[in-house]
Amino acid sequence: MAVCTGCSLLCEDIELVGGTSHAKNLCRKGWAHFQSLYTERTKPTIEDQDATLDGAIAKASEILANAKKPLLYGWSNSTLEAQAAGIELAKKIGAALEGTTSLGQCTLMEQVLTGKIPSCTLDDVRNYADTSVFWGADPSNSHPRHLSRFSYYPRGEKHQKSYEEERSCVAIDVRKSSTATLCSNYFYRLPPGTDDQFIESIMAALDGKIPKFGDKKRMIELGTLLRKTEYGALFPGRGLVYSLQEKMDLLQKLIAKLSEITAFKVVPMVEHYNTRGFNQLLLDETGFINSVSFHDGAAVHGPMQSMIEAARSCDAALVIGSDPLSSLPFGIARALAKKPLIAIDPRRSLTTDAAKVVIPSAMCGFEAGGTALRMDGVKIAFDSVIKGDMQSDEQILARIKEAI
Amino acid sequence: MDADVTIVTFRDIFQDEAGKKGRYTDEYRDLSARIILDRQEMARLGVKDGQRLKVQNDVGSVVVAAKASEDEPHPALAFMISSPWSNQLVGDEVCNASNPGPKRITARVSPTDDGITQISELLQRMRA
Ligand code: SF4
Repeated sequence: MAVCTGCSLLCEDIELVGGTSHAKNLCRKGWAHFQSLYTERTKPTIEDQDATLDGAIAKASEILANAKKPLLYGWSNSTLEAQAAGIELAKKIGAALEGTTSLGQCTLMEQVLTGKIPSCTLDDVRNYADTSVFWGADPSNSHPRHLSRFSYYPRGEKHQKSYEEERSCVAIDVRKSSTATLCSNYFYRLPPGTDDQFIESIMAALDGKIPKFGDKKRMIELGTLLRKTEYGALFPGRGLVYSLQEKMDLLQKLIAKLSEITAFKVVPMVEHYNTRGFNQLLLDETGFINSVSFHDGAAVHGPMQSMIEAARSCDAALVIGSDPLSSLPFGIARALAKKPLIAIDPRRSLTTDAAKVVIPSAMCGFEAGGTALRMDGVKIAFDSVIKGDMQSDEQILARIKEAI
Repeated sequence: MDADVTIVTFRDIFQDEAGKKGRYTDEYRDLSARIILDRQEMARLGVKDGQRLKVQNDVGSVVVAAKASEDEPHPALAFMISSPWSNQLVGDEVCNASNPGPKRITARVSPTDDGITQISELLQRMRA
């Protein structure tokens, strides 16, 4: 069996029948991920000229060694082993470390990792949950096997009759997403930015008061469903965390209230396969889950260590397994694009096209093995499934550290 | 004729798949450089499916194709798949009341004869 590193579900049941081009059990996203092994692969370059791998690693080491404020960015598509090597490199060269987790997701993930919000594994969800709530999340597009493996369709230890009779699925979103279509009985449409009012309304409904926001009848119906839930799971996505921002404590209050009534757990819907791994590793090492600078030796975290500040103030950046020029807001992407960039990536992207040095790496899960934390924190180990001579992120980082 | 809209970005599995085939593919561009608008809003703007719209705000501007929404009416609310095109309209990640980030972009849309913004141009803008 192979493991798919296409998203943070890290599906472990991928059967390879005659190689990676005939893999079974993949979703559409996973299939595209497997096929990406054969397209748009990078080669070593220095200033857009072909180079040797050794030459590219030497140039990258030189840039980082000469930088006064280097930034090491990415990490959510790297194994725990590569992430650990990245933290060591950051310590050695006094760099800032930034993961791809956004501001809002960080606050929520920190509350989960530090136990301020109760969480559970996805296996618990499959076995015990009778209500799954997708809030600002659309797993049918982002984590396509979420509903079938864990949260809606499967039979579990306590749920032998599957979704039709024993599970309810709630979608709260600003648009009728694919997931909302599947949960249409309990789809709640919100105007953008009103999630805080919706939370207040649920709390009112749970207290038996008249909700002030939303369709009163439907809010009471939701309150009733949540009240009779025996084991609930909330899956917050980017839609909710971006909407709540500084009001994230409201979500904490809602979960606390629900927990007084029943068991209610939260599993943040982080996207890339080892996003949570980076947050956990950094928390264990430094006490912070993201945005840490080792510039003055000790780990520092604060407003000056935000992604925008890091992008503006760095004088060189190493980007690993990530395409910030595609995925970050223009203001930050532009600040980053003007810096000398080193890209460690198996595949071509806007970032590799803008990079001064490109170092090709093995694709994790195919050409390199390692471990990663699934979105619920469960550690998943995987081996390489095809033989190749590409070096892993971990090996490349170790070579850079050694050269510096 | 133009209209002020709030744009909410979202994920789409088909665009994700196209992106994995390559960021520079026509398929990725066609799925990304697109804004989904309420049908009546489109009628007011005088555009049909596939016709081009300039979407601009204080941060930047892009030319994308209009697509009629299949959802319930949602005047003044538009949707774009998260992509380098939608990111052109987002300043930075500091999300607060005055800058709510990629889930609530305010912008003005107006019909245009200009061509769809190409990804190579987006990269050039970042490097300029
Ligand atoms: S759900 Fe995610 S991990 Fe599972 S097969 Fe699909 S892309 Fe891969």
